[in-house]
Amino acid sequence: MATKKKVVSPEKVETVEQLEIRLEELRAAQKEFATFTQEQVDKIFYAAATAANQNRIPLAKMAVEETGMGIVEDKVIKNHFASEYIYNAYKDTKTCGVIEEDKAYGIKKIAEPMGVVAAIIPTTNPTSTAIFKALIALKTRNALMISPHPRAKDCTIAAAKIVRDAAEKAGAPKGLISWIDTPSLEMTQTLMSDADIILATGGPGMVTAAYSSGKPALGVGPGNTPVIIDETADIKLAVNSIIHSKTFDNGMICASEQSVTVLDSIYDEVKKEFAYRGCYFLKKDELDKVRKTIIINGSVNAKIVGQKAHTIAKIAGVDVPESTKILIGEVTSVDVTEEFAHEKLSPVLAMYRAKTFDEAIEKAERLVADGGYGHTSSLYIDTREKEKMEKHAAAMKTCRILVNTPSSQGGIGDLYNFKLQPALTLGCGSWGGNSVAGNVGVMNLINIKTVAERRENMLWFRAPEKVYFKKGCMPVALQELKDVYHKKRCFVVTDSFLYKNNFIKPITDKLNEMGITYEVFANVQPDPTLDNALEGVAAMNRFEPDCIIAYGGGSAMDCGKIMWVLYEHPDESFENMAMRFMDIRKRIHEFPHMGDKATFIAIPTSSGTGSECTSFAVITDKGVKYPLADYELLPDIAIVDVDNMMTQPKGLTSASGIDVLVHCLEAYVSMMATDYTDGLALKGMKNVFEYLPTAYNEGSNVEARQKMADASCMAGMAFNNAFLGVCHSMAHKLGAFHHIPHGVANALVLSYVMRFNADEQPAKMGTFPQYEYPHTLRRYCEAAEFCGVKGKNDAETFKLFVEKIEDLKKTVGIPESIAAWGIDEKAFLETLDEMSENAFDDQCTSANPRYPLISEIKEMYLMAYYGKDYKPAK
Amino acid sequence: MANTITLEQQIGKGEFNEVYRSGELAVKLFNKGYSKADVMNEAYIQARIEEVGGINIPKLHSIPLMNDRYGIVMDYIPGKNMAELIYENPKDTEKYIDKLVDIQMEIHTKRCPYLIKMRDKLADRINRSDLDEDKKFELLTMLDGSPKHNKVTHGDFTPHNIMVGEDGKIYILDWNHASQGNASADVARTYLWLCLHHKEIAELYLDMFCQKSRTDKRYVQRWMPVVAGARLIKKKDGEEELLRKWVDVVLYE
Repeated sequence: MATKKKVVSPEKVETVEQLEIRLEELRAAQKEFATFTQEQVDKIFYAAATAANQNRIPLAKMAVEETGMGIVEDKVIKNHFASEYIYNAYKDTKTCGVIEEDKAYGIKKIAEPMGVVAAIIPTTNPTSTAIFKALIALKTRNALMISPHPRAKDCTIAAAKIVRDAAEKAGAPKGLISWIDTPSLEMTQTLMSDADIILATGGPGMVTAAYSSGKPALGVGPGNTPVIIDETADIKLAVNSIIHSKTFDNGMICASEQSVTVLDSIYDEVKKEFAYRGCYFLKKDELDKVRKTIIINGSVNAKIVGQKAHTIAKIAGVDVPESTKILIGEVTSVDVTEEFAHEKLSPVLAMYRAKTFDEAIEKAERLVADGGYGHTSSLYIDTREKEKMEKHAAAMKTCRILVNTPSSQGGIGDLYNFKLQPALTLGCGSWGGNSVAGNVGVMNLINIKTVAERRENMLWFRAPEKVYFKKGCMPVALQELKDVYHKKRCFVVTDSFLYKNNFIKPITDKLNEMGITYEVFANVQPDPTLDNALEGVAAMNRFEPDCIIAYGGGSAMDCGKIMWVLYEHPDESFENMAMRFMDIRKRIHEFPHMGDKATFIAIPTSSGTGSECTSFAVITDKGVKYPLADYELLPDIAIVDVDNMMTQPKGLTSASGIDVLVHCLEAYVSMMATDYTDGLALKGMKNVFEYLPTAYNEGSNVEARQKMADASCMAGMAFNNAFLGVCHSMAHKLGAFHHIPHGVANALVLSYVMRFNADEQPAKMGTFPQYEYPHTLRRYCEAAEFCGVKGKNDAETFKLFVEKIEDLKKTVGIPESIAAWGIDEKAFLETLDEMSENAFDDQCTSANPRYPLISEIKEMYLMAYYGKDYKPAK
Repeated sequence: MANTITLEQQIGKGEFNEVYRSGELAVKLFNKGYSKADVMNEAYIQARIEEVGGINIPKLHSIPLMNDRYGIVMDYIPGKNMAELIYENPKDTEKYIDKLVDIQMEIHTKRCPYLIKMRDKLADRINRSDLDEDKKFELLTMLDGSPKHNKVTHGDFTPHNIMVGEDGKIYILDWNHASQGNASADVARTYLWLCLHHKEIAELYLDMFCQKSRTDKRYVQRWMPVVAGARLIKKKDGEEELLRKWVDVVLYE
């Protein structure tokens, strides 16, 4: 208590109170250390590694003397490894500040220390583990508090002291590394619950205690490394590698071999080589004596850990030569009741015989499951035996699978394979109840902060390779099929009306003139079905065209696109191709590549859908509409010739004309609108305002028809890249549920959607990096201004713009409400909820600048239904 | 109450007490000067277990002070204990062990939050033992890392403490060491006792328990160093060698 009152730095840490004071000091030192630069840290890391390396021999001697386990010369290697290999592995690793940066993507990774690392040190590798943990803590600007094992505390503390002193001499803050002088469970528990991260190496009790301390822990566990020697193995290399590894530090490395399973055909030869190199095969009566000596109640007898084979034999009452390297028990059972099947932490090895490689794998699997889940397994084989190696790797639930490698030296990494990270703390993954699966390194001791700057999506502009326009352009354009594209067989898709009235004659004449063989499919239905398309595909498959001409309105062009897909990719599933996506470039289903068999030419005969230059097509199957969208569906060539459009009836002219306007408006206010699409959208809508009334009232007016054809195509290019919005979502469902023509459906909901989008305080705005804040009111006003509408402020401009649109609708004969179109109130209300939810989930909703709630869509539907008579529900 | 108790016939003797029959009752009479707290504690545990329900134990009646000696008065159960029965009917050993395991498993299904925690009790004993500090550290670490359960455990569950009454009913006696904790630790404790005193039936008992309760034997074995370490404080003749052997293991590293 006296120390607590004074709060003086305790000379030694022998009580919990002293530990708490020491931890405070560590935190203060670490705080300062956290400000160090990479250069300062690397200098300290170098000095600490050098000092540890220089003391490798005295530390090894101390460890053997104090613990009474292991071999000095091997512990020298471990100390050498812990200093030199760890230094070499991480000397150039960035662990401070910015460790990774990509300016183009606006991403930066910053390494920060974790704070105080609690290091639990085992008795088997005390000095090397202390050096290892101290070095990786220093490299990562952490402080380190060591909890040694009572039986190895002096040598552990000596190692820590050497590293600490060298680090301080090289400029590290004072007191960055410390230790518990009188270890006890209570002290270890206090340390673990106060530290920021725990590096626990030790028995399962300690590892469990670490994990239950409430602090993040890197705990590792036991191994029971099984070796398989395949009949293709180099026997001399295999046997001597195993001896080399198993005798290393008297078998105390946790990755050390515990059993060898040898294929029948080479068993005797392997046995001979083991014996020749000084291993002792226990005789029948000796086996039991050793069994009872090595394992007590399922645990390793402490007296044999890290002892020489001769010493162990002596304890068991078995007489073996002093120079014996390993005691080998030839046993058959891999069950835990067989003492030899356990981890033995000593130069004692089990040897099994297996008839086949599969049997050997089965044995190894069992041995891993019973005592070494997640740790290490080993295989000796001719590496040309790929199939066997794969089988072995697939079967072993171990985080290290070593091939033709002594597992003690191999498992710790960088000695027999230079890409296996060097470490004295080997993670065993979830199989071993660990949070790490690999060899623990500096990356496990840093927190990485990712700084991510806002970036805009990459955008592109996609359009058909060629868009031909102007009156009379069609025959000129078709000439290219022969001259430029060298096409031989053309398949024409159209509907029966156009066919029967001989509208396709200019095309077939031209094809005849050029000597291109053709076939006509003239059975496209309005709202084409899959069966309809399949009928055409059958003809296409027989005919094997190298180009397809789709001639007609949206239905013919869409049906042509679908037939094109099925002709090129007969096995593709519609459901997959029609799967909803948030971003067309991140979609789950990759759309198949188009154009390998045929070039696709679209020739519109109405001015509305713009399908000739869009990536969209809708097909109906068993009552379900499948909207397909992908740039692969984009026609190769579009031919917009007003000569094909002169006979559009009035209803079609008005409905498709308004559709063009909605395409332009939605593309313009879309979150994905760009300067590239804006020009097309603006010019397209201006054409509609100026020429739709004339085209409607005076169908033979070529100029008006041509301007509408251009508007339709430009609108198509605009929304092909900027996409549409919730007006189309709602129109799609209104059309589907109540059989209202698409253009009319759009017209009926348009002004309500515009008001909804123009709200400066939307419930939710759309999610897209380019969309910075709700600005749709201004966007509508820009469009209005381009079309010649200007009020004294945005609110007025917007109001006038909506009025202008309403006037246009009236001019072209669109009724003012859904009710006025003749939809029954009861039928409408019955479908309202389903329509609202479906409209919400429509593909077009995702580009809308305001993210709609389903209830908001429902409200808009109601307004559109009742028009002026709408009374909002209280 | 005390007036009605007459010590008729001595029927048992413990280290710190004698047991007498008094008509329908039995009196466990503690030596003069024996810790009052320990007597009350023993009676307390017995009363608690009685109230848990479903465990057949002699009913506790009173704790009289008789000539400066405390007594615990409970029902007298005429019959034989299971150890005697096994001795008399060796061919039925398996049957008795089977019954023993059933009873122990049944006790483990009970809960009694008022009993002391087994891990505290074991830790206290290991700390008070004469093991060296390294060994204590290892045993306490094993204990600390073991799963934290709260099953009622008898703590001294041996055939001697299982009475088969003349009425055919089975009674479980001597709850002084009961605690709440891990069933496997309780089993390890019984196995240890059998290894010390009836080696011939120890393996049979352990195998049967593991089989019937579907417990991995290693799970029980993991407790053996801990229960052996905790028993060292009893310093009983002839036990030390085995206990120290059991303690001297490393689980693995």
